[in-house]
Amino acid sequence: MDDAQAVGRLVRRCKAGDAAAWEQIVQQYHRRIYNICFRFARSADDAQDLTQEVFIKVYRTLSSYDVERGAFMTWVTTITRNLLVDHFRKSKQDRVTDSLDASPSENEDAMPLGQQIQDKTTPADMRSQSREAGEFVHRALQKLSPELREAVILRDLQDMDYREIATVLKVPEGTVKSRINRGRAELARLLQRTYRQVM
Amino acid sequence: MPVEGRNNMQCAEFDALLSDALDGLLTGDKSESFQAHARVCTVCGPLYSEADAGRRWLKSLGEIEPPANLVHNILVATGGRDTARAKSGQQVSWAAAVRGWMRPVFSPVFAVARQPRFAMSFGMAFFSLSVTLSLAGVKLTDLRHLDLRPAAIKRTYYETSGRVVKYYENIRLVYEIESRVREFKRATTPAEPASQPQNKEHKNNTSGQPEQRQERNYSQGPDQPVLAGLPNDPPVVMLTIYRRIA
Ligand SMILES: [Zn+2]
Repeated sequence: MDDAQAVGRLVRRCKAGDAAAWEQIVQQYHRRIYNICFRFARSADDAQDLTQEVFIKVYRTLSSYDVERGAFMTWVTTITRNLLVDHFRKSKQDRVTDSLDASPSENEDAMPLGQQIQDKTTPADMRSQSREAGEFVHRALQKLSPELREAVILRDLQDMDYREIATVLKVPEGTVKSRINRGRAELARLLQRTYRQVM
Repeated sequence: MPVEGRNNMQCAEFDALLSDALDGLLTGDKSESFQAHARVCTVCGPLYSEADAGRRWLKSLGEIEPPANLVHNILVATGGRDTARAKSGQQVSWAAAVRGWMRPVFSPVFAVARQPRFAMSFGMAFFSLSVTLSLAGVKLTDLRHLDLRPAAIKRTYYETSGRVVKYYENIRLVYEIESRVREFKRATTPAEPASQPQNKEHKNNTSGQPEQRQERNYSQGPDQPVLAGLPNDPPVVMLTIYRRIA
């Protein structure tokens, strides 16, 4: 986890216009933000665009971040999550681009998950098998409702604690736990169905 | 309620404890009654094993490696510097790349522009472009926050050209009204002699094409439509029209 004091100093330097401090923040957090965006957005291009948007937002609103009021990581994650929600809503409305709507949850419902992946399966070595497994899980994740998806992403992929997740999602801790339970269970059901089809 | 009588834990409580149980944080009596409920409840039992499986699946997902140019792009997008790349010199900055790409296209133009006799024209052209842009509501300071993604560039382009076109349409209407007024004047006054060629260049022109006068505003004759240079046309009319449209 981030050393609160060091990050606080970094943010203060950044607010004072220190470009090197900003670069350090980008270096420190881009991986995490990119991974959240990727797990949410499905495509690598979208994830990259969204990550850039997040950092532009962070850069512009950095002056509103209060070091005393909470961890920087939680603040950045909140910005990321809000942006993803906006993006998801917008792309649902527009249906023009194939960004988030291209996620299997929308376009590939016609074909069962197992079949989608089976089509792509090539006779493979161990490494590509585990990559295939990762692809299974990733695709199943896209099938979860955004509400459940964000909860399990923050908990199981970003290792955030329930209190932090509650802050980011602006819901009580009990709701967070319940969503995580349902998200995990739903994911397992999807994958069980998939494996039954594939095996 | 799928719970049987001998277990005193309710499903809601089970749900509240489930994540803690999977984190291995339940101990003692709590853990025992939790496990007991899971064994007897037809809803919570499967939920427990599914949530456990789902959690393992998620944990099996590794971290995704971000694209190599992500940090660079973020720093460019936020106007920050890009020292790492600059130091290593691995990658040419986008500004340098654009300059390199444009050089073969524009260097002949710049060479012409450097000649004294054309320098004024280019200066005036740039000046009128910037005046047009600012009249059309495009601030040059906006360019500091340029979003360089293709979609955003497209949007900015359409917004800007929309504003410029709107302004241009307004100006065109003013010109049209002006020329109608002039025609009206001509019709109501005795016929003027045909306009004389203004210099030698015009005499030598045998192409039969109309003169491209707008490129040479500095040498215009008195009969050409210029917004600010016609003493006979009442500027009040033009201003009123422009304001009403805009
Ligand atoms: Zn139960």
